[in-house]
Amino acid sequence: MNYELGQGLVNVLLLTGTLTLVAVGFSIVWGILNIINIAHGAFIMVGAYVTYWLFTLWGIDPFLSIPISMVLLFIVGYIVQRYLINYVIRAPLLVTFLITFALEIVIINLATVFWKGDFRSVTTAYSGAGFSIGEIQIPYVRLAAFVIALLLTGLLHVYMTYTKQGNAIRATGMDVDAARLQGVKIAHTYALTFALGTALAGAAGSLISVSFPISPTMGGLYTLRAFVICVLGGLGSIPAVIAGSLVFAFIEVFSGVYTPGLKEAIALLVMVLVLIVRPTGIAGKAFYH
Amino acid sequence: MKILGLEKFFSGRKGWLWGLFGLFMLALAVLPLFASGFWLRTLTLIFLLAAMAEGWNYIGGYTGYAAFGNVAFFGIGAYGTALAMLRLHFSFFPALLVGVAAAMLFAIVIGLPVLRLKGHYFAIATVALATAVGEVADYWTDFTGGSAGLTLPFFDPIEYSGQFFYYISFLLVIFGLWLTYFVMKGKMGYSWVAVREDEDAAKMMGINTTWAKVSAFALSALMAGAAGAIYGYWNTFVLPEEVFKIDYTLQMILSTVLGGPGTILGPFIGAFLYYILITLLVFFFHVGAFHETILGVIIILVMVFTPQGLMDFLSGKKKLTLSSLLENIRTHKV
Amino acid sequence: MEREIILKAQNVSKHFGGLAAVNEVSMDIFRGEILGLIGPNGAGKTTFVNVITGMLPITGGRVFFKDRDITGWPAYKIGRTGIARTFQIVKPFRGMTVRENVAVGAMFGHNGHKHSTKTALKKADEVLDFVGMGHLKERHADELTLPYLKRLELAKALAMEPELLFLDEVMAGLNPKEIESAMELVKRVNQQGITILVIEHVMKAIAGITDRVFVLNFGAELAQGTPEEVLNHPQVIKAYLGEKFVERQKRKQTMRDA
Repeated sequence: MNYELGQGLVNVLLLTGTLTLVAVGFSIVWGILNIINIAHGAFIMVGAYVTYWLFTLWGIDPFLSIPISMVLLFIVGYIVQRYLINYVIRAPLLVTFLITFALEIVIINLATVFWKGDFRSVTTAYSGAGFSIGEIQIPYVRLAAFVIALLLTGLLHVYMTYTKQGNAIRATGMDVDAARLQGVKIAHTYALTFALGTALAGAAGSLISVSFPISPTMGGLYTLRAFVICVLGGLGSIPAVIAGSLVFAFIEVFSGVYTPGLKEAIALLVMVLVLIVRPTGIAGKAFYH
Repeated sequence: MKILGLEKFFSGRKGWLWGLFGLFMLALAVLPLFASGFWLRTLTLIFLLAAMAEGWNYIGGYTGYAAFGNVAFFGIGAYGTALAMLRLHFSFFPALLVGVAAAMLFAIVIGLPVLRLKGHYFAIATVALATAVGEVADYWTDFTGGSAGLTLPFFDPIEYSGQFFYYISFLLVIFGLWLTYFVMKGKMGYSWVAVREDEDAAKMMGINTTWAKVSAFALSALMAGAAGAIYGYWNTFVLPEEVFKIDYTLQMILSTVLGGPGTILGPFIGAFLYYILITLLVFFFHVGAFHETILGVIIILVMVFTPQGLMDFLSGKKKLTLSSLLENIRTHKV
Repeated sequence: MEREIILKAQNVSKHFGGLAAVNEVSMDIFRGEILGLIGPNGAGKTTFVNVITGMLPITGGRVFFKDRDITGWPAYKIGRTGIARTFQIVKPFRGMTVRENVAVGAMFGHNGHKHSTKTALKKADEVLDFVGMGHLKERHADELTLPYLKRLELAKALAMEPELLFLDEVMAGLNPKEIESAMELVKRVNQQGITILVIEHVMKAIAGITDRVFVLNFGAELAQGTPEEVLNHPQVIKAYLGEKFVERQKRKQTMRDA
């Protein structure tokens, strides 16, 4: 087998794991609350810094800090939704869109002021280590990130399908009024949904920090990626997010090989093309209305 | 003419408010005779922001499409002008036309497919396109100079540079007001508002909605493109991360919203309000580094409490009370 | 006498995925008539009108307006060629005054190219007087009550100076007195030489004003004819009012007979 192709495919697979985790929180917030959370990437950035500081200051292993950054961001997300977005949730699109946009620039600005704008990375003793199959390289940290990402996604699926709260969230997404009549507390459920989204963003940030350099402005790209993935896969289910991530990873890895500086532009153009040619996404419901 | 949204400012007390506005414009027109330096620079910045906001108002305010990528037009206007001056050795005014034409052409080519999208999809597609254009400008080094940027010649004679950019930005703002008036009292204006209020009904009543949307998008590109052209020459330097900064999009939207979207004077007044607001905050709280945090907090407060802008309060149409501030929350909370 | 066919629908179909909302419906509309289109909820009436007027892409069949094939034309071109419609769920332009709402019809409708904004606003005044809303001209559209919103829909369509007008449930939600005056208005519009297709749920209205009635059920033609013929058609009664109603009627009949 061609080496470049083999390595490329492995990279696609590893990237799919991370991207799934990046996009899944964004997807449930969009699907259930009908909010495009522009600040999603900023929450990812915060998660990455939580891991970075816990590692740098106290030497806590990056993988062990995942639960900490999840809990922290869960609390932040719950407060943001319960005491801010809940108050304008039924306002026109421009309002919620601009509010999350504003949150993003606030978070980034604060991070830049307090943590400086330069790139940092989490370098552990095992950071550079890996194994190879033939000529194909697989770093341990990326493999671990892949496994954890899929594990968390699986847990989310279990939560949404088998717990009472998960069912309440799904019911709210399908029909708010019916859910309310069934006794679901909407304000709380909305906040819970958003908090789940930010907690998953936090986990994604922690995982990203072990493989890639981080900076306050790293998030915007992940928000756009999450959006592209939702467009490619369609809204409404976790498998759709995985499918979207796989397609996106494929485009990014293989377009990245041939045209380095432009890989984001290419992915974005692909998304716009998909939206235009097939407004229902590769799988999933119609976008209009 | 309710469609112009003029009554938002001048209902009831027409006479003296118009007089006040006239005096204000006159004061702006003669200001460079007295003031210089800092004040000219500040007002030039406000004018450029107002011009962009006037442009955003066409697509976002009157036509109702939440465009989040108008900074792309600003950047293309700046690059088009810079390249025409450097590569084709055009003087500034013909170069400005090249920049504006490039921005409008881009708006039409992009608008035709993208304006078929609605809501979130349109909003994010425009964000994505603006990001992508910035990236292309950064990457395409041979043509755009990449991240090294393009350096433009200084305005000559340099001692009049401040006045020149002041007046040309001021003219652009006035042109924008005229254009708004001209369009909105014609059929095109009616077609824009009809699309905003109900696209299906508009279509059924014989409006070519595609053309309506694309024309609004292209004219908003005209304003942002011209602002970009002036900004680039004024700055004598054009850099991708500077002229494609997403903050500019947010500022033009916020200005429009503050002054009143879908009104003729809203964006112009809003640009001043925005600038005054942010300057006061930075001044009083000594928070230069937190500039963007302030921008963000203002956006959030405006969106939560007065998403229809401040004009209703300033013109006395609505009383500024706690209950009027909470009205938006009451209607839109869970 | 050979009557002129103003609109001819030939085997028109509309499928949503596997579901046929409208299935091979053929309909002739004669110039000058008022044709009723009735059918139970979900029969495909509105979908049929949406397909004819270009709001939804057609799946199969052809549409001719004054012998011209308009199949697949975009909605705005169909509007300009002389077909106007109202919407069941009213669609006012809320940010405009009543007068401006109606002027949009004149500006972009059948004779739109001849109108400037000034003449269009004048035309709007005429139409508003005609429909009895002259006193509301300067009101904002979102200040109107439902009966007036329905009437505004009609005024907007009339300002387009159409030859053929589709009225989609303009009487639904109105009280008997309002229905009365709406029926009156529809007749007056017809007397101006405008051909009308009324989609209605209100049986009384249909019987009172239409020359012919066309019945759709499950997306297909069930019957057509004069109002009396159609309303007494057993199939129609069954489809429209349900089995139970038919049984109840029978029981009543036998009780009365006894």
